[in-house]
Amino acid sequence: MSQENKTVQQKMTALTELVGWFQSTEFSLEEAVDKYKAAEALAEEIEKDLTKLKNDISVVKQRFDSEA
Amino acid sequence: MDDVLLSVSDFVDLTNQTLEYAYPSVAIVGEVAEYRVSQGKWVSFKLKDDGAIIGCFMGIYQLRVPIENGMKIVVMGQPRLNPKWGTFTVSVRSVKPVGEGSIKKGFDLLKAKLEAEGLFSSDRKRSLPSVPQSVAVITSTESAAYADFTRILNERWGGLRVEVAHTQVQGQPAADQIIRAIRYFNNLEVLPEVLIIIRGGGSAEDLATFNDEPLTREIAGSRIPTLVGVGHEVDHTLADMVSDVRAATPTHAAETLVPDRQEIIRRVRLQVEGAGNAYRQYITYYVESTRQQLDRVHDQIHEHYEKARERLALLKGAVAQLNPDNVLKRGYALLRGRHEVGQTIVIETVNEVIEAEVQHVTRK
Repeated sequence: MSQENKTVQQKMTALTELVGWFQSTEFSLEEAVDKYKAAEALAEEIEKDLTKLKNDISVVKQRFDSEA
Repeated sequence: MDDVLLSVSDFVDLTNQTLEYAYPSVAIVGEVAEYRVSQGKWVSFKLKDDGAIIGCFMGIYQLRVPIENGMKIVVMGQPRLNPKWGTFTVSVRSVKPVGEGSIKKGFDLLKAKLEAEGLFSSDRKRSLPSVPQSVAVITSTESAAYADFTRILNERWGGLRVEVAHTQVQGQPAADQIIRAIRYFNNLEVLPEVLIIIRGGGSAEDLATFNDEPLTREIAGSRIPTLVGVGHEVDHTLADMVSDVRAATPTHAAETLVPDRQEIIRRVRLQVEGAGNAYRQYITYYVESTRQQLDRVHDQIHEHYEKARERLALLKGAVAQLNPDNVLKRGYALLRGRHEVGQTIVIETVNEVIEAEVQHVTRK
C-alpha cells in the first residue's frame, strides 16, 4: 500500500514501527540515515493530513417525533 | 333529561363521553397515597391535597419514573367513571415528579432498582475506539450544546463521519424521541462505532428526561457503545450512569471521543526527535567504542615497548659487565706478550701501560 492511500491511523502505526526500529536489535548504522529520513517524511505527511482533514457531519432525514 | 330512561351502562357511557368531550386531557398535581401495583401490570394510587382526593389508574408500562407514597407528582390523563366499580378515577397516561424532593426521590428509587439489576456495573462497560471513523450523535441540533460539541470535535480531529439525529432533549416527548433515535442507529446495516447522546445544562426538571426508565434501559441495551454527556459537571443522570462512558459535559464528550490533532502532531514530532536521538546515541556509542578500542591497542603497544626497553636495559647492563675497561676499573690488569723468561710483556692497568721483562715463570 502506498503512503498516499493510507489513513492517518495507518501512517501513525507505520511511523511507530519505523521509530521502534531505532530502539530494536535490528538497528544498523548503514540503514539508519534512510530510515530516519523516511520517519521525518512520514511525520510531515501525518501533520499535513491531520491539519487538512475535515469531519463529515450530516443530520439524518429520519424524524423521531413519532413512531415511523 | 328526566323523561329519558337510561340504563346504568348507558348512563356511565354518557358520562364518560361528556367527560371526554369536556376534559380530553387534564394535568393534576397532588401527593401520592395508597400506591399499589396489581398483578405486576396495573398501578393504582390516590392523588390528594388538603381538600380533596381522587383515584388514579394506569398500566405499569406507562409509569416511566418510580413513585411512592408521599411524592408530589403531576399526572396527565383523562377523568372517567369506571363502569365496573362505579368509581370516578383518572386514567393516567403519564406521571412526572414535581418539586426538588420528589424528583430526587424518583431518581433515587429508579437508581436503586437499576443498580440492583447490575446496569451500572463496571463489568458491562465497553471501551470506545481510540480513533473512531464513524459515530452517531443524538441531540437537539438547535442547542448550544450541539454547537459546542461540533466546534470542539472539528478543532480536535478530522476525517470523522458523524450522523446526527435531531430530537427534543427536554419535555414529555423527548425520552421517546431519543429512544427512537437509539433504535434507528442500532438497526443500521453498518453500525456507527460510538453512539453519543448530549444535552447542555438545565434544571433538574429539564434533565428529568435522562432519568426516564425506558430511555435508561434503551441506552443500557444499545449494541453500539454509548457516550453520554448531559448537563454540567455536577449533574448526574441515570442515562450517563448506564452508558459505557460518561462525559461531564457535551464539550467533554467531544474531548473524550477523539484525540487532539495538535497533541498528535506534537507526539509525532517527539517520536521522530526520539529516533534522531537514538541515532545520535548509536553514533556516539560507536565512536566511543572505537576510541576505547584504539586506546586499548595503544596501551598494549606501550606495554610491549616498555617490556622491550626493560629487557634492553638488562642486556646493556650485562654487556657493560663484560667490557674490559670496567674490569680494569675494578683493579685488574691486562697482560700482553709471551710469558717466557727474558721476554718483554705489556701490562695495562686502568691508568697505565707498563712494559716489563719476564724474570721467572712458575707453572701453577
